[in-house]
Amino acid sequence: MKWVTWEQVGVDRIACAWLITKYIDHEAEFLFVPAGQKPLPEGAEPFDIPGVRLSHHRGHCTFYTMLREYDLRDPVLQRIARVVDEADTVQDVLLEPAATGLDVICQGIRLISPDDQVALERGRLLYDALYAQFASEPTQE
Amino acid sequence: MEQMQGILWVLLVYKIPREPTASRAAVWRKLKRLGALLLHDAVWVLPATPWTREQFQWLAVEIGELGGEAHLWESHLLLNGQAEALVHQFQARVEVAYQEILEDLSQEDADLVALSRKYQQVRAQDYFHSALGIQVRERLMSARGGFTS
Repeated sequence: MKWVTWEQVGVDRIACAWLITKYIDHEAEFLFVPAGQKPLPEGAEPFDIPGVRLSHHRGHCTFYTMLREYDLRDPVLQRIARVVDEADTVQDVLLEPAATGLDVICQGIRLISPDDQVALERGRLLYDALYAQFASEPTQE
Repeated sequence: MEQMQGILWVLLVYKIPREPTASRAAVWRKLKRLGALLLHDAVWVLPATPWTREQFQWLAVEIGELGGEAHLWESHLLLNGQAEALVHQFQARVEVAYQEILEDLSQEDADLVALSRKYQQVRAQDYFHSALGIQVRERLMSARGGFTS
């Protein structure tokens, strides 16, 4: 299946692409369009674009929305959602010190990658690592 | 000065139902956290960066979900000197906050953990890189005590 999002991926979209490939659609193919471009390509599921189903809702990031929409209840994923929320949205309560660093590293990954496709591929390692680390810690949520 | 006139700004205007007050307050707090300035009780403004643009965009979506309505623009100031005045307003606000940190740092029992956290928050709103910020950072580093190098 095809998935589409805006160019210049960051912390939330890299996380979403990782989640999609790993838990939702193993054959996922990602397309990128310039920010604000309309109409979106037909036959591709849009994500992290304002106004679409898989996007920010109620002040939460798109990764968080995806867990809800696809009914993924793994507490480790829930904790990653908390991290991405704190990294990508304005929050009053900050509980995850990894958030700020993750945001900066994801921006850097985009900078050193020739295109968004490569940035998503490189970003996977980060979220595999984050998942493994959180899975090794006592559950917090 | 001409350079400042070239600054691009993002402007947010919104309306949100009076009730529930919690939603109104949440939106207000987010605008404060972003360090946006409120002009004439009507327009919230931030210098345009990919980050501020994105944050305002999501906030506009959230306001819609809360039953409100939001408009978002990008624009230049056309009148002479106004961009500079606006930059000064942004600067003045972070400098007040930096000054508070400096004062608290001079107390004998300064809470370094809390102050460094406050520094990070202020720095996130320091869109025009105030020189005072560098001073606060240096003072925090030297305040940590112990080995000096």
